[in-house]
Amino acid sequence: MKLFKARLLSLLLDLALWTYLLYSGFTLHYLMTRWRVWEPEAKFIAPTLPGWGWAFVVWGILELVLLTRAFGPSLGQRILGVWLVSESGSPPSFSQRWAYFLFAHLGILSLGIIVFLAPEHPRYERWAGVRLAPLPPPGSGAFRRRWYLTAYGISAFLFVGMTLALGWRLTEIDLQNLVRRASRSIRIWRGLINPDFRYLFTPDPRIKLSFIDGLVQSLYMALLATVAGTAVAFPLSFVGARNIMARGPLGWLVYSFTRGFFNVFRAVESVYWASIFAIWVGFGPFAGSMALFIHTIAALGKLFSEQVEHIDPGPVEAVTATGANLLQVVRYAVVPQVIPQFLAFTLYRWDINLRMATVVALVGGGGIGRLLFEYKDDLQWSLVGGVIILFMITVWIMDYVSGWVRERIT
Amino acid sequence: MPHLVVEKLTKVYERGKVRALSNVSFSVEKGEFLVLIGLSGSGKSTLLRCINRLVEPTSGRVFLNGLELTQLSPRAMRKIRRKIGMVFQQFNLVKRATVLQNVLAGRLGYNPTLPTLLGRFPKRDILRAQECLARVGLLDKMYMRADQLSGGQQQRVGIARALMQEPELLLADEPVSALDPATSHSVMQYIEQINKEDGVTVIASLHFLSLARRYGQRIIALKSGEIVFDGLPEAIDDQKFKEIYGEEAEEVEVR
Repeated sequence: MKLFKARLLSLLLDLALWTYLLYSGFTLHYLMTRWRVWEPEAKFIAPTLPGWGWAFVVWGILELVLLTRAFGPSLGQRILGVWLVSESGSPPSFSQRWAYFLFAHLGILSLGIIVFLAPEHPRYERWAGVRLAPLPPPGSGAFRRRWYLTAYGISAFLFVGMTLALGWRLTEIDLQNLVRRASRSIRIWRGLINPDFRYLFTPDPRIKLSFIDGLVQSLYMALLATVAGTAVAFPLSFVGARNIMARGPLGWLVYSFTRGFFNVFRAVESVYWASIFAIWVGFGPFAGSMALFIHTIAALGKLFSEQVEHIDPGPVEAVTATGANLLQVVRYAVVPQVIPQFLAFTLYRWDINLRMATVVALVGGGGIGRLLFEYKDDLQWSLVGGVIILFMITVWIMDYVSGWVRERIT
Repeated sequence: MPHLVVEKLTKVYERGKVRALSNVSFSVEKGEFLVLIGLSGSGKSTLLRCINRLVEPTSGRVFLNGLELTQLSPRAMRKIRRKIGMVFQQFNLVKRATVLQNVLAGRLGYNPTLPTLLGRFPKRDILRAQECLARVGLLDKMYMRADQLSGGQQQRVGIARALMQEPELLLADEPVSALDPATSHSVMQYIEQINKEDGVTVIASLHFLSLARRYGQRIIALKSGEIVFDGLPEAIDDQKFKEIYGEEAEEVEVR
C-alpha cells in the first residue's frame, strides 16, 4: 500500500510541476514579447486556445511527466523517496526505461485500472521488467550521474529558474528606475535630516494636534488595545490549547473553533480592521484602538495557546490525580507555568501595537500617524521628519525597556 | 473484602496498537505494601494510572472498597481520586510555585472551585499543610520555590501533597528512580511510615529488586503487560529473576 501511495502522489506532483512549468513558460514568453508598460489594460489576458489545442497541452504534459518518470527519478518520485529499479534491484537498462515509458501509457489510458489490479506492482512495470523501490540514502553512490544531471535535478533547476524569472517580470522590477529617478527623493531626505519641531508642543492650527498630543494618543491606543486584548486572549488561550481541550468530541470542536478564529482574525491585518472600524465607529483613535484590539486578541491568543501546549504535562497529571476539576487544574498546574511567557508576549505585543498605531492612521485610525500622513500628503517633509524622529526615539525607548523587563521575567 | 481489586485489566494504546497491559488481575488487602517490578515499558506506569483513571483502560474493571471505578462518571471519579494519593517519578511539582502552594494543591478536590481559583484555602487546610510538611521534615522550606529544592526534597513535597488528600491508597510511580541511593532510602522510609502508621495501602513501582525486597510485603512482576510473578519477596530466586528481567540481566544492589 505504501508504494501505491508513493506512486500516485509522485505522479500528481509531477503533473503539477510540469503544468506549472508550462504555465510559467507561457506567461513569461507572453510578458516578454507582447506586454508593454503603456498598455496596462492588456497586461494579463488568459491564454486562449481552441478546444483541441488544450487537449494537446494536456497530452504534452503527460508525455513529459512519463518521460521524466522513466528516465531517472523525477521530482515527484524523489520527493516521495522512490525510484525505478530493474527486477534484480540494479538501475534499469536503457531499453527497460523505454519499455516502461511505453507501457506506462497503458496505466494512464486505463485511468489507473491497471494500477488498481495490482497496486504494489502493476502489470506495466512487470512487462518492462522494472519496479518501484525506496530511494537509497544519499551518499550511498546509487546514482550513476551527479544529481543535477538527473531528471530530478534538471526539473528542480527549471522549477526554481522559471519561478524567479516569472517573479522578476510580474513584480515589475526595474533597476534602471531605482537609479534614474533617485533625484526625485532628494527633497524627502533633505526634509528628514532637517526636522521641523515647530508643532512639538503647540498644536498645529490646522490639524489641532501637537506631536506630543499625537504621540500620547498613540501610546494609549496601543496600551488599551494591549490590555483589553490580553484580557480576552488569556481565557481563550486555554480553550484553544489542545492539551487542555482535546478530551472529547465537544472539546475538540471548541478547540478547533477557537484556533480557527485565531487564524482567521490574525490573517486580517490591523489596517483592514481599521478601515472597517473607521466606517463603523467613525474616523479617529477609537477606530484605531478597536482594530489593534481585535488583532491583538487573535495574535496573542495564538501565541498564548502555543505556550499552553508546550507546558510540562507532569504537574497537570499530578493535580488531576488529587481530584481537582478542570478549572482548578488550569489554575494550579498550567497558569503558574505560563505566566512569565504570557507577560513577555504581552509586552512585546505593546511594542508591536505602538508601531501599528501609526499605520492604522493611514485609514483613519488617529494618533501620531495622522500627523504623519497629513504632512506627507502636503509634502511638508521637514514636519514628516520631525514626527518620524520623535516616533523613532519613542519606539527605541519602548524596545529597550520592554526588552529589559522581558529578560527579567523569563 | 479486599481493598482494591483489579480484574482483567487491558490497555491498548491506539497509536501503533501497543498492548501495554493484557488481562492483568490481582487484589490488594487494606494496609498492604505492594511493589510492582519489571523492565521499563513493562506496563507498571500504565497499570498505576489505570487505577485512578489518569489513563482510561481499554477493558477490565477496577474496584475500590467494592465500588467499580471503571464505570464512574468523570465527576464521581474526581471525588474518588481525592482518596487516592499519587507520587511521581519526576515529582511533578509546579516548579515556579512555592512549596506551600504545591502542597495545598493536594486539597483542591475537597474545596469549592471559586475560592481556590482566587488562591484561597480554609485556615485548617493551611494548618494541615504545615503538619504534612513538618512530617516530611520540610516545614522551614514552606515559602521556597519548589525548583530551589533538591530532588529528594522535591519528592518529599510530592509525598506531602499526597498526604494532604488524606488518602486511603497511595500510588507511587517509580518514586525514587530519579534519586541517588541514599536519598532513595529516605524517601522510601517516608512512604513506609505512611503505610505503617496511617494504614494507607501502598502500591509502588520500583526499578531495583533490592528496594522492592526491602520495602515490599508482596511483589508483582510485570513483563510486556502481563503478570509473570505474584508473591512474597523471598520467592524471587535467580531463576525467577531471569524470567522477569531477561537472561542478560544481573542483580544490582542499592544500599
